[in-house]
Amino acid sequence: MSQKPLVELKDVKKRIGKKDIIHGLTFDIYGGEVFGLLGPNGAGKTTTIRMMVGLMSLSSGQILIKGKNIESQYKQAVSEVGAIVENPEMYKFLTGYQNLIHYSRMVKGVSKGRIAEVIELVGLTNRIHEKVKTYSLGMRQRLGLAQALLHSPSVLILDEPTNGLDPAGIREIRYYLRQLAEKEGIAVIVSSHLLSEMELMCDRIAIIQNGKLIGVQSTKEFVESGTERKVRFLVDEVAAARHAVSHHIKAERMTLGNGFIEAEMERELIPEVTATLVVEGVKVYGISTETKTLEDKFLEVTGGKEIV
Amino acid sequence: MSNFIGLIRNENMKIYRRMGNLIMIVLLIGFIGLTGILTKTDKTKPVSDNWKQELKAENASMQKEIKKEPMMKSHYERNIAINEYRVTHDIKPMDAKSQWSFIGESPDAIQFILIFTIIVAGGMVASEFSWGTIKLLLIRPVSRSTILASKYVSTLLYALLLIVITFVFSWLWGGILFGFELGPETHLSYADGKVIEENMIGHMWKEYGFASILLLMMATFAFMMSTIFRNSSLAIGFSIFLSMSGTVAVQLLSKYDWVKYVLFANVDLKQYFDGTPFIKGMTLNFSLAVLAVYFVLFVALSWLVFKKRDVAA
Repeated sequence: MSQKPLVELKDVKKRIGKKDIIHGLTFDIYGGEVFGLLGPNGAGKTTTIRMMVGLMSLSSGQILIKGKNIESQYKQAVSEVGAIVENPEMYKFLTGYQNLIHYSRMVKGVSKGRIAEVIELVGLTNRIHEKVKTYSLGMRQRLGLAQALLHSPSVLILDEPTNGLDPAGIREIRYYLRQLAEKEGIAVIVSSHLLSEMELMCDRIAIIQNGKLIGVQSTKEFVESGTERKVRFLVDEVAAARHAVSHHIKAERMTLGNGFIEAEMERELIPEVTATLVVEGVKVYGISTETKTLEDKFLEVTGGKEIV
Repeated sequence: MSNFIGLIRNENMKIYRRMGNLIMIVLLIGFIGLTGILTKTDKTKPVSDNWKQELKAENASMQKEIKKEPMMKSHYERNIAINEYRVTHDIKPMDAKSQWSFIGESPDAIQFILIFTIIVAGGMVASEFSWGTIKLLLIRPVSRSTILASKYVSTLLYALLLIVITFVFSWLWGGILFGFELGPETHLSYADGKVIEENMIGHMWKEYGFASILLLMMATFAFMMSTIFRNSSLAIGFSIFLSMSGTVAVQLLSKYDWVKYVLFANVDLKQYFDGTPFIKGMTLNFSLAVLAVYFVLFVALSWLVFKKRDVAA
């Protein structure tokens, strides 16, 4: 991933009326990676996506797709982008095939062969000549993916791609997006509320809250980062244990339970606390460390706001 | 250019693959068909051989009417002049039950075409927003102006198709009901106190042309409303309401001089060719200029709004 980024956001700001929606986002997305946009509702994910595809103007800053400015070089920039913005809304009174013909006429060089290839790829071959109004949400999602891939873009942007898919479908799309990124070197950008999904799908995640970028981290780092973790000691006497460790951990940071005490601490502190407990004559039955899931981490970062 | 044709094909596909828009075509054909049957079964007698006497009698009675109803003076004067012209130049009135006469009535169908075109125009941009498809439509390497132009041209093509259907079907149905005989009929019109002789085909073209001006203006208006408000019901309802009431409203207000700048005082160009101008001092060039200003305004507003708007629906 040392090549030039496919998508560059440079201090992107969006102001609607007197309200700042996006306060200045800067990050790069490279070919071959699946990049996640994470944030609670109203954080500005969809606004960011809309600016990336030219549906909304930027108040300041710039977005470059393969080095082309989405505003001043719109046609060249958007030729490299395939996207589903929010739900995959297609013309319901047309067949799936007619929908694809419709979009193929708006770009250069999409042959009938390419259309057939894409249909095969998303697994809609059997139903493609039926009207879209007879499709399930999952099938519409597939058709949405087909129209986004039609012109072989180098950047694929999907808003909530697993929305409405069953578990098998989700696994399939996850596998498929990884394939696109790894085999074809496409930059795949997804936004999702399903944090566990992001964990499985993305290489890197940008967390956005209130229109600000909280951070961009690789998924692995994101889950493992943080020197503090929650440690639980199973003890016989909770009160004694609490007293014993009071010079290591402040009382208000400690949680007392039925037969255990719990607190967040650095890794290095665990043996010290254990030793103290033993010296003070508290019986220790077990010590467990909790690894934070992305979800916990996310809640922590975003201050536990409602996600869905 | 091939790109633009592709866009027009897209818009056409979206117009003609919807049942509602096809039903409108069926209704139009049904209306013309019904009018034909009503004319055929009507009791009016064919024009008799002593039509000259009848016209003279008609004129005499109209002369009396003028004195009773001075409001209708110009209307009667026109008819009297035309009747006199027929008698002196030996031009027999057209038989109501003839193919020509039936086709001659067909521009009336433009009222329906007007409504149907407004319905299509009013949905053209607004529907893309309500379907949510605008988000997928506007992320292609095609400028918004080109997309808007393709939508506008497709709307006008729909109106043109309806006009062609009306003309062809009237000719065909008139021929089937009354026999295919299109003689070199003459049409008489009256302007500036003079009777003018016209070839029937030329007259038909003019009739369609005059009726199409309101059609063009209101289709453009509905299209603008659709683009600005993104609400097809509003665009359609308001445009139909204006088309229905506009002409009446300007007639009621005709004593005021400023009314001559209102769109509806200028859409009927026939007033300069057959009849009297709506307000004294109005000329053909004046009306053409007013129409051009409105047209440019409608198109420019649609374009500006469509080009600049953030798509956030």
